[in-house]
Amino acid sequence: MRPRQKQLLYAGLTAILILIWIFYSADDLQTTAVLAGTVRAATLLALGAMCGMIGERSGVVNIGIEGQFLLSAFAAFTITSMTGSLFMGTLAGVGMGLIMGWLLAAMAVGLKVDQIIAGTVLNISALGLTSFFYDRSRSLGIGKYTNIDLGPLADLPLVGTVFFSRPPLTYLTMALLVVVHIALFRSVWGMRTRAIGEHPGAADTVGIDVLKLRYFNVTIAGGLAGFGGSYLALEAVGTFSRAMSGGRGFLALAVMIFGRRTPFGAYAAALFFGFTTALQNQFQLNNTFDIPPQFVGMLPFVVTIVVVALSGLFGSMRDPAALGQSYEKG
Amino acid sequence: MTSMWRRFLALLMVFGLLTAACGSDSDSSSSSSSESASSSSAEEEEPAEEFKIGLVTDTGKVDDKAFNQSAWEGALSGAAQIDGATTDYIETEESKDYANNIQLFLDDGAHVIITVGFGLGEATIEAAKANPDVLFIGVDQFQGEAIPNLAGLVFEEAKSGFLAGALAGMLTKSNIVGAVLGTDLVPPVVFFKEGWENGAKYTNPDVQTISTYHPGGLDVAFGDPEWGATTARQALDQGADIIFGAGGATGNGALIEVATEEGALCVGVDWDQWGTVPEAHPCLVTSAMKDIVKGVSDLLVAAKAGTLVGGNFLGDVDIAPYHDFEGMVTDDMRATIEEVRAGLADGSINPMPE
Repeated sequence: MRPRQKQLLYAGLTAILILIWIFYSADDLQTTAVLAGTVRAATLLALGAMCGMIGERSGVVNIGIEGQFLLSAFAAFTITSMTGSLFMGTLAGVGMGLIMGWLLAAMAVGLKVDQIIAGTVLNISALGLTSFFYDRSRSLGIGKYTNIDLGPLADLPLVGTVFFSRPPLTYLTMALLVVVHIALFRSVWGMRTRAIGEHPGAADTVGIDVLKLRYFNVTIAGGLAGFGGSYLALEAVGTFSRAMSGGRGFLALAVMIFGRRTPFGAYAAALFFGFTTALQNQFQLNNTFDIPPQFVGMLPFVVTIVVVALSGLFGSMRDPAALGQSYEKG
Repeated sequence: MTSMWRRFLALLMVFGLLTAACGSDSDSSSSSSSESASSSSAEEEEPAEEFKIGLVTDTGKVDDKAFNQSAWEGALSGAAQIDGATTDYIETEESKDYANNIQLFLDDGAHVIITVGFGLGEATIEAAKANPDVLFIGVDQFQGEAIPNLAGLVFEEAKSGFLAGALAGMLTKSNIVGAVLGTDLVPPVVFFKEGWENGAKYTNPDVQTISTYHPGGLDVAFGDPEWGATTARQALDQGADIIFGAGGATGNGALIEVATEEGALCVGVDWDQWGTVPEAHPCLVTSAMKDIVKGVSDLLVAAKAGTLVGGNFLGDVDIAPYHDFEGMVTDDMRATIEEVRAGLADGSINPMPE
């Protein structure tokens, strides 16, 4: 990050904190509610974005995140309702994500299928399989994950509710952000991963097995999306309903690009999307504007266009050079 | 990659796509077989003339635990009272397919076609005009002009919402009641909301009502439980202690979220959701009901008897039993509810004063 960008970042953060402080002194309840909603809506997007990011950093586009969410949510829900254990359900969701990640790798890396088509296959299959096997008489039975207060931290005003009184999978997601960041930018694995995404030929000549690493990465990334599915079924909603992922897998891709394929950048972008959603809800709750809700519902997308256009002014966004290309050992 | 693996993968993919293609088809065959017990017992006595009933859902699913499902149960219950009746359904995936799905049943020689939801109104009217020999039942479809072979089953949702709101106004301790709703593109949802808010203000003039519609279009507004849950939490966080979840799976998400909050209450919609959303038992005090099951079933029996006439049929509305919350609703509250119910019936209370 160049000094000028750093300055801008700090200036932006300061401005946001001042704004929050002003709103909080005006109405503490509503400010807390909006920010809590923001963090909540961001969690699933952040997980999906991390899944997409690991794939793209290694040169594989994954547009099947939507399907990975959906089928994993289904697996998590079904296993929990069968075993009565949220933990087992969470594991099942992650496992299903790994399987779907492997499937994507098998198609996109192994068989060198067009990556967009491979991802689409995941999406359509997930929709079909879950609709086919969904049994409406099933329910979780034991209820979903509930908030865990982190000791005295949870009693702090504002940040207590927003960050330290959360259900377990949200905490884990925040931890995963740090883990993925360190892995991608501070480890040998991360350096190799970025190498095969930028110049697989060069990486190959220094002895990195490009196909094997891509296989591994896309599978592991699937596990992250699977974790997102578990979060969706067991923590965010507490049941399964058909097509419940509702396009969030695609939104996660936008969040990933917006966040420049870095975990913290993606989380900032996810928080931003979450904030616009929470804000437009709040407008309706307060009856701020007497206009159709669909109009206020445009807010997230309009703001996105503006911000993407603005961010173009400060440094360019660049895709990994080998993105979307299958690698043939030459 | 060996060729064995390749074949296995290909098979797996084909299987996945196949289930996607025939998902709803095989669903319906299993449902009609579960119900075949009733029709087969009828066949034992005398080979009755076949009476084909087809149901086309809105973009929601037939197992949405709310609106579409109640219409389907109504069709099954009506069919059980008719000799030789067979039932089948088609789930509409996208709103552009309404007319095609109705046509599928027409081609199949259906005697009665039930279309579920406001959205199918126009397609149903067109089909009814083009096929005067087939009877149509349109749930939630108000008929501007009567067509002889089309009965619109409509409800006064505002009254049902008003009753639920009146109860909520008395039960709230924080004096804030919230509503998490499907979309205002569907008039019954708007009626539920207006009735709910007016009802709460009727019994509690100090109450503050906070309500949110899903910002998306018809295709997503009733199938987004994540939004429902997040929004319900946002309302709880700013002090609401009773939340009305009205909008298919979206509303169910709100109900389940409220269930995790100690001391908060929730109100279901369309029918008694105590039976369909067990996850909401910790908070579900009642549901704003419209009796679609009875309405559809009665109309089917009338259709078989040949007494069905075109125009609008007004179904019953009410609120559901209190189940676990019987003890929380005091005698005073019950008396007030009775007054409101009587007032709504004789017209002295207008649930939607403009």
